[in-house]
Amino acid sequence: MTDVTEHTAARPRAEFLHRFSLRDAGTLIGLVVILAVFGALVPGFFAERNLINILQQSSINACLALGMTLVIISGGIDLSVGPTAALSAVISASMLVAGVPFPLAIAAGFAIGLVCGLLNGVLVAYVGLQPFIVTLGTLSTYRALALIYTGGNPVLGLPAGFRAIFNGSLFGLPLAVIIVAVVALIAWIILKKTPFGEYLLAVGGNEEAAYIAGVPIARTKIAAYMISGLLAALAAQILIGRLGAAEPILGNLWELDAIAAAAIGGASLMGGKGSVVGTILGAVILGTMRNGLTLMNVQSFYQLLATGLIILAAMLIDRVTRGRG
Amino acid sequence: MSVPRLQFEGISKVFPAVRALSDVSFSVGAGEIHGLLGENGAGKSTLLRILSGVYRPTAGSVLIDGRPVALNNPVAARAAGVAMIHQELQQVPHLSVAQNMFLGHPLTRGGIFVARREQERRAAEALAALDPTIDPAVPLGSLKVAQRQIVEIARALLDRARVVAMDEPTSSLTPSEFERLAEVIAGLARDGVAVVYVSHKLDEVFGICQRATIMRDGVVVGSVDLAQMSEKAVVSMMVGRELAQEQHRSHISSEVRLSVRGLASATKVRNVSFDLHRGEVLGIAGLVGSGRTELLRLLAGADRASSGRVEIDGKAIKLANPRDAIAAGIGLVPEERKREGIVPLRSISSNMALASMGVFAPRGVIDHTRLKRVAAEKMKRVNLRPFLLDRPIRLFSGGNQQKAIIGRWLAAGTRILLFDEPTRGIDIGAKAEIYHLIEELAAEGHSVVVVSSELPEVIRLADRVLVMRDGTVAAELDRADLSEQAIAAHAIPQSETQGRQGARPSGQQGITDRTSG
Repeated sequence: MTDVTEHTAARPRAEFLHRFSLRDAGTLIGLVVILAVFGALVPGFFAERNLINILQQSSINACLALGMTLVIISGGIDLSVGPTAALSAVISASMLVAGVPFPLAIAAGFAIGLVCGLLNGVLVAYVGLQPFIVTLGTLSTYRALALIYTGGNPVLGLPAGFRAIFNGSLFGLPLAVIIVAVVALIAWIILKKTPFGEYLLAVGGNEEAAYIAGVPIARTKIAAYMISGLLAALAAQILIGRLGAAEPILGNLWELDAIAAAAIGGASLMGGKGSVVGTILGAVILGTMRNGLTLMNVQSFYQLLATGLIILAAMLIDRVTRGRG
Repeated sequence: MSVPRLQFEGISKVFPAVRALSDVSFSVGAGEIHGLLGENGAGKSTLLRILSGVYRPTAGSVLIDGRPVALNNPVAARAAGVAMIHQELQQVPHLSVAQNMFLGHPLTRGGIFVARREQERRAAEALAALDPTIDPAVPLGSLKVAQRQIVEIARALLDRARVVAMDEPTSSLTPSEFERLAEVIAGLARDGVAVVYVSHKLDEVFGICQRATIMRDGVVVGSVDLAQMSEKAVVSMMVGRELAQEQHRSHISSEVRLSVRGLASATKVRNVSFDLHRGEVLGIAGLVGSGRTELLRLLAGADRASSGRVEIDGKAIKLANPRDAIAAGIGLVPEERKREGIVPLRSISSNMALASMGVFAPRGVIDHTRLKRVAAEKMKRVNLRPFLLDRPIRLFSGGNQQKAIIGRWLAAGTRILLFDEPTRGIDIGAKAEIYHLIEELAAEGHSVVVVSSELPEVIRLADRVLVMRDGTVAAELDRADLSEQAIAAHAIPQSETQGRQGARPSGQQGITDRTSG
């Protein structure tokens, strides 16, 4: 009876050591496959001009999705990014048209984004309302404010100097792409290297445990929403710089693309999990799909279908490869 | 001899990287209450999941009344006559008791409308034998945990279950609730049900089971007749070695570290005062609901006190939130590890560092080299196994998760550690390690408070014990006067003994009954 077979179960060590980067590798493979398919189907798809186009077309969504990723990791969601961007855009634009110096007008736009995020964060963290409902409410509110402020009309005639800021390029890359790349680097550092990043992961992963461990729950959540608002404002500046006008209806449904990019990149809507690298790859995947399908002259209805299927496929692959619980 | 009601025959279960069960065979007769014992990770839960249709075995078969049954999913298992009563009850709190009992297969009128009255009548019938005070029409969430467990058992009766498996059914029950449950289980057995009873509490298993199967590392070590076994022999079968009986060692000094005066909360705690010395292990005993957990939460800053004063080293401190407590050198090791202790997806290192981020990131950026070094040092100190600091904490056993939480406070430089049920849901082997650790911490000059429902644990660890009752300290017992009887005498509400005030059990010297003074 004492003779017990000692089977030394092989510890699944490697699997867990690099869990998150493995997930990113999966997203990267997805991107490579999609690139390969379009490369085979669309002549000139791999031309430098087109690849830069893809990055440029992905940059606004990537910018929003980075903020969204931080909010989702904290266990929340920010549905109000589109209207936040619109409000920031029309206020900056009308200041620019009125002749306010560029830095001041841009700073005002950023301040609007921060205030919008602050309101979301306070309602979630201090009042204790559910993030989905809070940001659904502010989605309508911020949009309404933008419409009321402009009377529903676009703000036209932005100064050329302002447009040049965001339309310039550096080392052959559009400035917008470089700005978003820098933002991504900062977000990556925040998540991997700062206490705030650890707090985000802890608050989203187990709020009660984080509280007992002394994590400042409310401050962490509010900061996440403020970053999301700030990045929505940055996306707005990039867009109005590109268009030369600010419409109060700008940014319609942006929140959905941002959530999709974060989810494809491995963020869990349950909170506590997400990756900056993954989100960027997710945004580029969505951008590539749109670019490739447009070059193939696929009707927009089918583009929408393809986007939907990509999201579902990413989630299914996630589920299957992760297995149970 | 007749065919056993339940037989496991050569059950093996292989997961991608781990062999969880190999060649598990044993049988349980009709009307038998059969204990299933083993440390965490021994394979008990996997076996129960196979029995309840959640997992399919890689090899082997389950026989009920001598016939192999296909337990392909939970519904099939239920149809085969297996009822499972989970540790964490799987019920819907907003639905009524009757709705819960018929969940998944409601009684209907004409296949369309739910026959609510009929469900409630049948539910009441099933409950009558167990606990007639439960009203089948009330929301399940309004019942106490013990009553909810009775509801689960009533549901098993309704299903005419031939096999009932119970996973740690008593982990949150009071002693009197346990006795009630034991009667109900005995009743099931009298009706010919085969009961498989999983528990960490050996005294319970010895109290209600006739036989037990002991598992270790996925294999059956043996099936034994409990009447002919000592607890000690069973324990050594479970852990595979002899556990030394440890003696209490005291490290208490005269220096008062924490001083609590008149502490009260809006709800549970009233007028609590005590001193905690350097190097002392202070036990807090009392019934569930006597305010022990709430007192710890006040001290840890997790809840706000409504009045009272807390001093550390003679200086009054503010405890508005856990950050204040941590800054003052107080850390809580909570009772519900999964809910309040760990961040499951994060690594051991991250979980450890969570309370001392300021230390690891003095200039805003985390010094990962330093964090790794401290994590290695602290986790070596608490003897984490396996020693994988980057592995998500959820993949570790309860005992090792607990060690990581203790390591969290060591890293944060905590001097006062508050343990709420330090060994709940932890293996016997790891339990001894946690006891050791608590004693070593005291020896190093930490001050420790241990809240526990397990009286042997309190007696094993504490230099001094406060007994709580109705939210306040009913008695203070010195080491010399500690006994389970003395603690119980003060823990039980006075209305159940002899009137409201001043009930002092006679013949126990050195005990100050504070409610009379």
